Amino acid sequence: MKNQLRILSILVTVTLLATLLAGCAPRATPTPEVITVEKTVEVPVEKTVEVEVIKEVVVTPTPEPMAEGAKIILRVGTGDSGEGLNPHQQIIAEFEKANPDILVQLEAVAGADYYTRLLTQIAAGDAPDIMQIGDDAVPMFVSKGGFLPLDDFITGAYPLDTSIYLPGTLKPGMYQGAQYFLPKDFSTIALYYNKKIFDQFGVAYPTDDWTWDDLLKAAQELTKDTDGDGNTDIWGVQLTANWTTGFEYWVAAAGGRLISEDGTSYVGFMDSPETIAAVQFFSDLYNKHKVAPPPADFNLWAGGNPEFETGKAAMRIFGRWPQTGLRNNPNVDLGVAEAPAGAKKANVLFWGGFGIFSGSKNPEAAWRFLKFYVGAEGSETWKMHGIPPVAAVAEAAGLTTDPIEGPWIRGLDVLADRAYVATDYWGETADPALRKALETVLIDPNADVAAVMQTAAQEAQAALDEKLK
Amino acid sequence: MSSLTATRLIKMPRWNLRQREAMLFYLCIAPWIVGFFLFYLGPILASFYFSLTQWDLLTPPQFIGLDNYARVFTRDPLAVKSFKVTLVYTLAYVPTDLAFGLLLALLLNRNLRGIGVFRTIYYLPSVLSGVAYVVMWMWMFNPQHGLFNTILTYFNIQGPRWLLDPKWALPSLIVMSLWGVGRSMVIFLAGLQDIPAELYESADIDGANMWDKFWKITLPLLTPSVLFNLIFGIILTFQSFTNAFIATNGGPLDSTLFYVLYLYRKAFEHLQMGYASALAWLLFLFVLACTLVIFLTSGKWVFYRSVGE
Repeated sequence: MKNQLRILSILVTVTLLATLLAGCAPRATPTPEVITVEKTVEVPVEKTVEVEVIKEVVVTPTPEPMAEGAKIILRVGTGDSGEGLNPHQQIIAEFEKANPDILVQLEAVAGADYYTRLLTQIAAGDAPDIMQIGDDAVPMFVSKGGFLPLDDFITGAYPLDTSIYLPGTLKPGMYQGAQYFLPKDFSTIALYYNKKIFDQFGVAYPTDDWTWDDLLKAAQELTKDTDGDGNTDIWGVQLTANWTTGFEYWVAAAGGRLISEDGTSYVGFMDSPETIAAVQFFSDLYNKHKVAPPPADFNLWAGGNPEFETGKAAMRIFGRWPQTGLRNNPNVDLGVAEAPAGAKKANVLFWGGFGIFSGSKNPEAAWRFLKFYVGAEGSETWKMHGIPPVAAVAEAAGLTTDPIEGPWIRGLDVLADRAYVATDYWGETADPALRKALETVLIDPNADVAAVMQTAAQEAQAALDEKLK
Repeated sequence: MSSLTATRLIKMPRWNLRQREAMLFYLCIAPWIVGFFLFYLGPILASFYFSLTQWDLLTPPQFIGLDNYARVFTRDPLAVKSFKVTLVYTLAYVPTDLAFGLLLALLLNRNLRGIGVFRTIYYLPSVLSGVAYVVMWMWMFNPQHGLFNTILTYFNIQGPRWLLDPKWALPSLIVMSLWGVGRSMVIFLAGLQDIPAELYESADIDGANMWDKFWKITLPLLTPSVLFNLIFGIILTFQSFTNAFIATNGGPLDSTLFYVLYLYRKAFEHLQMGYASALAWLLFLFVLACTLVIFLTSGKWVFYRSVGE
């Protein structure tokens, strides 16, 4: 009995350990109890929490083909979920009506699993014909040969006039000079403000020509201890703590950049005077001027600060994702202005687009659908859910002159390149270092920003050199 | 018909007690063994091969020998850091978990009306979904509006920033995890129920007090449960992932960067499948070594009651 108990315990142990190993083996699907989260750093979807425990795979019911085998079946992969699937399904239905020879199946995989799933499908040669990719994943997917260049299609039998798109929205879909993706939707950075709070304290609304000085001055006027208990009740401006991607706006507006144009050097860029000025101003808003509510978390999917939504912050600098919710929020009488200028006026682009799988068996049919999906026809549907990248459609819908939507579009005129454009390794080399630097200066008000950024640049450089070796 | 066969079996046992026990044993573990060969063995062997390669899922793996393993020890301070974080977590969590689990089990091992309700209450957190309870704890730890700091302000104490402070984040996660102490409690409880009442009765007759009974009877007879919880605890804490993944994502300043979280990042965010496989194998070897050491020394401190021998 004693020995059997021992054997039993050993077996249990080995099985447990085996579970660990198998969990890490690449082909085994169970990642450690995968929490499917909208980890949409790039694919522009709301940044806030959406914790879903179940992996969601939705396949639209396809009507039975009338003549069996006569129709081409296309598969479309998207990382959107829930209500975000409605426009996809609507456009697909319209396309199928107009093109009776093609059937389209939508395959939606929500959350962090989406790219991993696409990668395994691409490796197995069984990926959807058309796939949705977020901006900073473009270099990785294209450099691994997952997608077809579209240039021949654009000038081919079913030509597409690419000048129809809003300025800057084609570029994230390019890699080494060739067009691989067409834009689906985008966001820039802008300044949200709550008119209620501005009215209450008699402060003039933000304008598109604001600078960081104007931002600071208004934020100081609006940071209030209304009940006199020594604690701030109304905050000037809600910021994004350690969110590295969003921080690229601050660097660009300070006139800096995070990496050299040739993609080989962080030293001299992440620690440049401009970048240091951006970090200094940003952290001063928190720690010196105390006009920004302290970070509620350092975690992308923890929900972030609630102050703007609850009417406790007068301004917020962020992307367009929560705008629909804010417009319907009774605590907020929403206004939007262009992101304020630092040393110069600059903005950054967050972007999602569609491309064609390099192993697609029906590339031409896929192109016909893609052209419809993100062209003028599809944009008629997208415009009801966001800003369509087709300029004429956005204009006809009155979005360019809309006081709320206009600033997002005008942000496109002053775009600076995101750091991922210069290197395929941004995410694994510099992103962790920048995140750590932001956390350091936010946690420690006495931190020497210049020294922190020098350390970050060197750490990032060491990681990059290792990759480029 | 079947009852007839059964009676015949009892009358003329074809197998002796030992053999029948062995058969029962293999029958009971069959689901795990079958599952192991079907679902785990292949991926395990594959992951060992991949640990010797550089592989990004898309392009074919490139054989690079032991370079992944060398990189862990020589060129990746974050891997070392994540190992240290995990080690500290294990060293702090496992003993605390054993102590609290045992204490709770002792408290709940009584014949009171409604004791089942209390046992359920204490066990319940361990069956809750990891994500749900982590999110709840995040609210309690919220520095501005959370339960803990709100209570502390009643006493005019400025609470720490918990998950946002590199010094407090790991302790916060340990407290959070101790909520699941019901897992070890239930094992101890089963062990306690297994101790024959006669032993306590005879100890009573000999005039032993509570303390004597605990040290001389309860604890020695519980050592198999301690062994089980110890090994289980070590394996589970070295694999811990969900809490940090959701609550802190490894931060602030990598203070809660658990080994498996780092491994996950390497594999599924940076697509370094070969390197991640090497990390997994190192973890496997380390935990295996810990387990072996504990098993080898267990002969000295684990006491098995003989049944049927």
